[in-house]
Amino acid sequence: MHFDSLVDALEFAIEKEEEAEQFYTELAEKMERPHMARIFENFAEEERGHRRMIKDVIMGRPSFVPQPRVADLQVSDHLMDVAPSPDMDYQQALIFAMKAEKAAYALYTQLSEASEDSAMRDLFHLLAQEEAKHKRRFEIEYDEQFSGEN
Amino acid sequence: MAEKKEKKPLDLNRRQMPKQPPEVRKYNFNEVAFGYPEDVAVEEAKRCIMCKKARCVQNCPVEIDIPAFIQAVADRNFAEGIRIIKQKNCLPAICGRVCPQEDQCEKTCTLVKKEGQLAIGRLERFLADWEARQGHVEMPDIPEWTGKNVAVVGGGPAGLTVAGDLILRGHRVTIFEALHRLGGVLVYGIPEFRLPKEIVNREVEYLKRLGVEVHTDFVVGKTRTIDSLLEEYDAIFVGSGAGLPWFMNIPGENLNGVYSANEYLTRLNLMKGYLFPTYHTPIKAHRRVAVIGGGNVAMDCARSALRLGAESRIIYRRSREELPARFEEVENAEEEGVIFDFLTLPLRYIGDENGWVKEMVIQKMELGEPDDSGRRRPVPIEGSEETWPVDAVVCAIGNSPNPLIGTTTPGLKLGKKGNIEADEETGMTSREKIWAGGDIVTGAATVILAMGAGRKAANSIHDYLMGGNGHGNGADDGSGANTASDANAGADQNTT
Ligand SMILES: Cc1cc2nc3c(=O)[nH]c(=O)nc-3n(C[C@H](O)[C@H](O)[C@H](O)COP(=O)(O)OP(=O)(O)OC[C@H]3O[C@@H](n4cnc5c(N)ncnc54)[C@H](O)[C@@H]3O)c2cc1C
Repeated sequence: MHFDSLVDALEFAIEKEEEAEQFYTELAEKMERPHMARIFENFAEEERGHRRMIKDVIMGRPSFVPQPRVADLQVSDHLMDVAPSPDMDYQQALIFAMKAEKAAYALYTQLSEASEDSAMRDLFHLLAQEEAKHKRRFEIEYDEQFSGEN
Repeated sequence: MAEKKEKKPLDLNRRQMPKQPPEVRKYNFNEVAFGYPEDVAVEEAKRCIMCKKARCVQNCPVEIDIPAFIQAVADRNFAEGIRIIKQKNCLPAICGRVCPQEDQCEKTCTLVKKEGQLAIGRLERFLADWEARQGHVEMPDIPEWTGKNVAVVGGGPAGLTVAGDLILRGHRVTIFEALHRLGGVLVYGIPEFRLPKEIVNREVEYLKRLGVEVHTDFVVGKTRTIDSLLEEYDAIFVGSGAGLPWFMNIPGENLNGVYSANEYLTRLNLMKGYLFPTYHTPIKAHRRVAVIGGGNVAMDCARSALRLGAESRIIYRRSREELPARFEEVENAEEEGVIFDFLTLPLRYIGDENGWVKEMVIQKMELGEPDDSGRRRPVPIEGSEETWPVDAVVCAIGNSPNPLIGTTTPGLKLGKKGNIEADEETGMTSREKIWAGGDIVTGAATVILAMGAGRKAANSIHDYLMGGNGHGNGADDGSGANTASDANAGADQNTT
């Protein structure tokens, strides 16, 4: 994938976040159980937060500062994929979200590595770290909610 | 000048409770610990220094007057001792055996600083067993019917407590239980060698004699919904527990020979597997059993597997210090020969040509850098995968509430994991006339917390039925819990 300018790259990133947000919102609407709908609404809200952050960068108000590498707990690496379905439970929702965040992290990392422009590389690296942080939050939640006895 | 009171020297020698030796008990399902003989109980009770500010009481979820019952044991006034306990706890024979005292009353005992904390749980058990041996149950008078009917969903410790408290206040109580026996986890989960079934049966029989009506094999949400029951009952308490097992969601968990802890223990407990070899075990005889998890449930599974003749190992992702099981049970398991593999994570299970599990692939872990909360979380060690032979796996990593009641009761507010949301002090839910308590609200927790929640809900239901708003403390008698439990003082006795 190639971007002509930093703004192009950022717009691509915004689109990705919008897609994710929309995906979670639609999933929330499909849930049979109201408490699961609320969970996906919260996930969507998190993606909205990301989008806002990227917009801030475009507006020249970068709200994130360079981050050290976020540790990967690898909680979801060996778990089987979960297909989104209306009767999903919280455990499945978290597995799904961890995997989605991991995929987003991988995408931004790839884009960062493939960027020739150093500003763009740094930007994608930052976005990748944001996704990694996001994933880590889900990993910790999974660890605490579903692995307390494991 | 006042004479200086002579100080009693501290006795820090916590008295041991006799147990079956490990090399004997690992071949039978009989109770491991025998309980204190009378003289030892009295000696132990005399060690109490009777602190003015009894921090043991503050750390007891149902606030038993611990110094008072300990003093009664020291004075050999056992009848008084058990009376004091039962003012707050109607199932002492059970709690004395399975409560995590080391995290509650005994944790804040003043003597803990010198590693000589009083054995409060063992003394509670002693009194309950003493009372049962007396063989006589005083049946309390049941007040005249108030004209109100209460349905209790689930016959675990939460439901049993509600039923016992409300029948003694003159309401008619019916328990609806999905299984064929009452007792909840106490009968289908906790194995015979830790909690003999006879003790739970005694409680259940007592409630029936008080007049509690029981419908077994009745799944609320399927046989009848909560709303349909509300056409007949004035109030409903939901104590349906957390019986939905979690799996790890790794490949191979659907192979034959991979059980949930629930299934494994239920087969043993309800299908008389613990009478092996008299009864043929309803579980295939396995040679190598791997139990995943480090809680009480995992210990129970691993120790059961051992008793059925298998080599039994606990696979736990973290280190020994983090094991959530009671320390006493970990020690018992180690003595009996359960093998512990710490910092080990199963990645997948491999089956044979007939679909039975034959191997598991594991990965070794190490504790990572402390995170913001200061906790060191396990992370995989690259390249540390190994394949181990197994012929059964028991997944004991935790449970959620079964979603059935939540999904069949419109308007009932649920939490993230499908637990019912209920007020901590009253057990009231988002729906009028519906209360809830125990594991269905908190997620998998403890017997004493389930009982405590049942007691609070019973107070609130009684208040409501007598015309209050559910926040009073028992509208007519004003004495709250104690009236019911005083009268309940025979609940733990032998019903001869
Ligand atoms: C193996 C094991 C070991 C444990 N060890 C300890 C220990 O050492 N110490 C300790 O304090 N705690 C221990 N616990 C936890 C403790 O047993 C529980 O916290 C406690 O039993 C919860 O009580 P409860 O009444 O809320 O639910 P439960 O005991 O789960 O009872 C719920 C009852 O409701 C019934 N039910 C469910 N759904 C329906 C329905 N739809 N209709 C009708 N009936 C229904 C169930 O069949 C069950 O009988 C252990 C748990 C397990 C599984």
